[in-house]
Amino acid sequence: MASNSAFNEGFLTTRVDVVLNWARSNSLMPMPMGLACCAIEMMAFAGPKYDAARFGSEAMRFSPRQADLMIVAGWVSYKMAHAVRRVWDQMADPKWCIAMGACASTGGMHRCYGVVQGCDNFLPVDVYVAGCPPRPEAVVHALMDIQEKIRNEYSVAQDYVDGSQLPASQDPGTGLLGQTP
Amino acid sequence: MRKDADNVVPKVEEGPSHQALKFFFTPVDEPKPDVENHYAKSTTHLPEVVAALREQFPDAVDENIHEYAGEQTVFVDKAHIVDVCRFLKEEQSFVYLSDIGGVDRFTDEDRFEVFYNLVSFEKRKRIRVKVRVDEEDLDVPSVTGVYRAANWSEREVFDMLGIRFTEHPDLRRMYMPEDFEYYPQRKEFPQLGIPGSLPLPPQTPEGELQYDPFPAAHGRLTPKSYEEPVSKYDGEDD
Amino acid sequence: MSAKPSFAAADLGQAFRFWPRHNEAIYDRLESKHAWLEERHDDTSDAEDPLENEMILNIGPQHPATHGVLRCVVKMDGETIEKSVLDIGYLHRGIEKLAESKSYQEFMPYTDRMDYLSPYSNNVAWCLVVEKLANIEVPERAQWIRMIMCELARISSHLLWLGVGLMDAGAVSVFLWAFKGREDLYNIFDEVAGARFTVSHSRIGGLASDVSPTALAMIRDFVDSFGDDVDGWEDFLNRNRLWIDRNKDVGTITREEAVELGLTGANLRASGEPYDIRRFEPYLRYEDVDFDIPIREEGDSLARYFVRMEEMKESLRIIRQCLDRLPEGSIRTDDAKLAYPSKDEVYYSMEGMIHDFLYTDVGVAPPKGAYCYSAIESPKGELGWYLESDGTGNPWRARLNAPSFANLQGLEYIMEGSLVADTVILIGSLDPVMGEADK
Repeated sequence: MASNSAFNEGFLTTRVDVVLNWARSNSLMPMPMGLACCAIEMMAFAGPKYDAARFGSEAMRFSPRQADLMIVAGWVSYKMAHAVRRVWDQMADPKWCIAMGACASTGGMHRCYGVVQGCDNFLPVDVYVAGCPPRPEAVVHALMDIQEKIRNEYSVAQDYVDGSQLPASQDPGTGLLGQTP
Repeated sequence: MRKDADNVVPKVEEGPSHQALKFFFTPVDEPKPDVENHYAKSTTHLPEVVAALREQFPDAVDENIHEYAGEQTVFVDKAHIVDVCRFLKEEQSFVYLSDIGGVDRFTDEDRFEVFYNLVSFEKRKRIRVKVRVDEEDLDVPSVTGVYRAANWSEREVFDMLGIRFTEHPDLRRMYMPEDFEYYPQRKEFPQLGIPGSLPLPPQTPEGELQYDPFPAAHGRLTPKSYEEPVSKYDGEDD
Repeated sequence: MSAKPSFAAADLGQAFRFWPRHNEAIYDRLESKHAWLEERHDDTSDAEDPLENEMILNIGPQHPATHGVLRCVVKMDGETIEKSVLDIGYLHRGIEKLAESKSYQEFMPYTDRMDYLSPYSNNVAWCLVVEKLANIEVPERAQWIRMIMCELARISSHLLWLGVGLMDAGAVSVFLWAFKGREDLYNIFDEVAGARFTVSHSRIGGLASDVSPTALAMIRDFVDSFGDDVDGWEDFLNRNRLWIDRNKDVGTITREEAVELGLTGANLRASGEPYDIRRFEPYLRYEDVDFDIPIREEGDSLARYFVRMEEMKESLRIIRQCLDRLPEGSIRTDDAKLAYPSKDEVYYSMEGMIHDFLYTDVGVAPPKGAYCYSAIESPKGELGWYLESDGTGNPWRARLNAPSFANLQGLEYIMEGSLVADTVILIGSLDPVMGEADK
């Protein structure tokens, strides 16, 4: 493993990474999977008082093909879980997921047969937001957390290792401290 | 003077609520119909309708009219419910069906009850008709022929309790998917559901369906949707 | 991985495609339904020309315009819908089952999350039915405050209906105005109850806390300024060519049909049937307040729009009267067996503390075997609870009569024969909330 190759965490790739991550984090297009009461707070989050548009999330894209951030807002029932998963699969990489509210994170107050106890049983969640429903400021904070997470990603650097391209999610790649597998 | 000074002094009033503690949660067996209920409304007090019902259907209508909080409930034989509903709709002007619901009494005999909530705009009255269903014979004639609004409500009773409505045009489950094989509202169904009764989507697009979203609770490893990078410190002591 | 259970749904493995038996049942029902239009082409599935084919379209469950998760499976001939089957249950929680394991007061937050556009109404509905069953008398001040908050919740719900309905129709700016109005209401709810949105302010036997003078001043300001807002929106929309064309004669329901289908709320009143629980079976203090019930005869979406706008104005009228007539007094009944004692009593007297503990632990225990039904006029329609008690502090059976459930049943019928583009308008004008329709 040539750890000093031109494509592996050199100056060029990290600068490209910075630009790429800056672009990605400031133009997140949320796909609101608004299921229940948290959807109302998500609408308030997109509304005039707590404006999501100033973070770049101007367009709430309801089509998964055009979105990169899925906000699961509300409890996921077992019947709906397959639809949510299918929508998630249709989203293109890179994609992130916010579990908004107690119900999406852990099932919330609904500890019963119809509710999946947390959408992380079938979705890879990046940020969990607590609250029932969370105030729109909490959702803004979650959005900013996702932005920070994106800014710290190694997108390009891991894509090109010894000339082979692997998507960042599947590449064992190098660890955060530069260890080789 | 501190601003919370009036908070320091207790504002307790002497009153009847400070008597010696009585245990109030011992259930009183029979509700007392003669105690005046503040919420009793004239819309649910309908002796003339009950009398007309008794006159028309002497064998179908039970003699006991349950009365509580000013509400009268008429118990009807299961086989005659369609006729009773038709009579109420056409002769007594109870044209609006507000609700149909099921109750699981969890007794050995006549386990289930189905209630029909009918409203008459003209008379400003609301009547509740109840049908007792035994667990051995779960078929109840459907009243969708009389009230079209009964369609979904009867489907919901079927879904939740398992009571079948004969001659219902479309008896499918209402809330749970058809693949589900239990009746959730029955008292013996656990509140958390039966693990494995509803499959969950897989953790990865190519994976298999999950039947057990809490493998950790059953002593298995939780499947993860990412792979942790191997740490070079693994296997070292401390 | 996990062990496979041994019933039918488990044999599917790779072939699982989104609840196969469920979808089979839906498509069978779609086929077997009586077609509204004439069957123009026999054996259409083999027709070569796509213009001769009928198409089955799935609207939902994830769709921006379905007001939550509602799935409409629709069979279309061109643009006209021939048959439609509605599939609900994507938000089913089983709160009726949950209610059986919670005490009456513990269940209050669950009621918030049912009709989540107007949570205060649901709180009051639950309180009223428990108070009816246990025969708890509520002091005057609490009843008037509950009325004020219920009417504010009605305005809030109708605002969201307006904003989202128009956003679905294409006018996004109305959504922003409606949400600005809702934010003002959220500030009021915040001041009164501590939470913006899912308040659980109403307690069995009264209210959790009294409204402060600040809150009353905020309500007064809102009432004074909101009337002008509504007038402004009406000026914009009432004679708007686009809005009228979109809504006129869309989804017309006659009065007999509406009663037959079991519709409720503004939908019934827009078809000419004057059924409003506030007049039919008055609860709280609605008999002492002067208000009109807006009724229209046409029964199309435009009539439903007018009815709801006028309801907002009537709500303002009710709130003004309540504010003027608000009496002084306690806000919770004094009997500590039936309602929480006040915090002073809890902190400074032994009996108060014990009652507090016991109330949280067991709570109200209505007589064994008693059952009753109590309904309110929520913004969506007749919201009723059938409550049966078994003598303990938990209900034996708590059954919700959800207005959206009845309205959606009517939607299935109304959609047949209309155009696909009107689906969005129809769903918007019937105003369902899936949280209560799916329980």
